[in-house]
This record gives sequence, C-alpha cells and structure tokens, in this order.
Amino acid sequence: MIALSILIPLIVLAALGAIWKARPVHSALFLALSLSLVAVLYLILGADFLGLIQFSVYVGAVAVLIVFSLLITRPSDETKEIARRPQSMLAGLLCSVPVLAVLVYAVSFSTPTEEVAAADTAKIELAELGKTLFTTHAPAVMAVAVMLTAVMIGAALFARDINERES
Amino acid sequence: MTPLALLLTLSCVLFTLGLFAVLTRRNAILILVGIELMLNAANINFIAFWRFGQAGAEAPDMIGPMFVLFSIAIAAAEAAVGLAIILMVFRHTRSTDLNRLDSLHG
Repeated sequence: MIALSILIPLIVLAALGAIWKARPVHSALFLALSLSLVAVLYLILGADFLGLIQFSVYVGAVAVLIVFSLLITRPSDETKEIARRPQSMLAGLLCSVPVLAVLVYAVSFSTPTEEVAAADTAKIELAELGKTLFTTHAPAVMAVAVMLTAVMIGAALFARDINERES
Repeated sequence: MTPLALLLTLSCVLFTLGLFAVLTRRNAILILVGIELMLNAANINFIAFWRFGQAGAEAPDMIGPMFVLFSIAIAAAEAAVGLAIILMVFRHTRSTDLNRLDSLHG
C-alpha cells in the first residue's frame, strides 16, 4: 500500500511530463519513464511476467521506436510546429475534464469502501500461464501471430521509399 | 481508499491525460504517445481487477493477465503501423503536423 501510494503519483507526474513537455523528444522520454514505472507497478502487484513484458516491449521497443521516429521526422520550423493553439487547449480541457469527472465519480461510487483482502493466491505461475496460453487461448495466439505477420509486412511496405526503388 | 479504488483512479487519470494529449497535440507522433498512455490505463484496470477483484475465489483465473498480454502485443503492432504511416506522410508533406493534412478538404 505504501509502495503504491509512492509509485502512483510518480506515474501521474511522468505522464503529465509526457503530455506537457513542448519538445517532442522530451515528451517521448517522459513516456518511457511513465511506462517503466507502470512496469514496476506490475511487479509490485505480483504480475512479474507482465512487468518484464511491459518493460521489454513498451520501453524497449515502442518508446525507442517513437524516439527514433521523432529524430527522423524533425520539422524544419520546430518552434512553429511545437507551439500550442489556445483553441485546441480549450477544446481538450472541455472534452477531457468531464470524462475524468465521470470516470472518478463512477469509481468512487462503485468500489467497496471496506478494505478488500488481496487474494494471496493471485500470482502468475509461468508454467500455468504457458499452459493456458497454448490450450484455452490457442486460437487467440494464432490470430495474434497472423496479425503480427501482417503488421510486419504492412509496416515494411509503408516505410519503403518508392522513389528510391524506381531509380 | 482501497488499493483497487486507488489503481482504478490512476487508470482514470492516465486515460484522461492520454485523451488530452490526443486532442491538443499537433504532431502525429505525440498523438501516438497519448494513445499509448490510454492503452496503458486499460491494462492497469485489467491487472487491478485480477489482483484485487477476486478475493475469496478458490482458484483465481488468469483472464486479466492474458488480456494484458494480448493488449501489449496489439499495442506494439499499432505503434509499428502508426509510425510507418506517419513516416510515409512525412515523406509526402515534409511535416508531421496533422493540421497540414487537408488535401482532401473541398
């Protein structure tokens, strides 16, 4: 509980940095920080395997991919590009503050107020996870495999430089 | 505040921050950053309900972690395709500003 109450403000602060920092690279680095803190949260909650997966996939792959894309697509007039428009800030606040209010209202009225005993047995057994993954959820694993193949081919096709190929 | 309520509130806040980023950013890659935050908020919900939502159950099921596992795979795929599309757009317009992508505007 103490670890949670220290970790949760840190996650929120890192996420705030990710959405508030004007420079895109800083923003991506704060995203990486936030994602790695969420991985630590998973470790604390007993989902060790998911914490490691979160760390290697999100921080190791997605965040690095985002940073590299930001470096490749550097705009020529960066100061103009990163300037925020007041109208869009107003629209963002108008849309997101009511969403937050409704969500927090729903959470505060629907969760039990008495201390819920943490299920001590809620721990990921890797062998059990693997067995469930390849028996009960085998169709889903196959679907994900097909999707990842399609994504790999699609991303390579999209990112290919057509002009360079023709010349 | 129970740990479950704390985690659900964290998830709400992260989702709203992601939504705010998606609505206000102009750079397409930073909109993707917001989408990643929103996906993470959903994953935190799954883990919170798996950990604290089945107290007293004889044998806790693995549905929550399984969902998170597939969600992480799909998020990685989404980021790869999204960034490839953004790279293609950048090659055409020399910019990742979504406000400039108005060539279909009548």
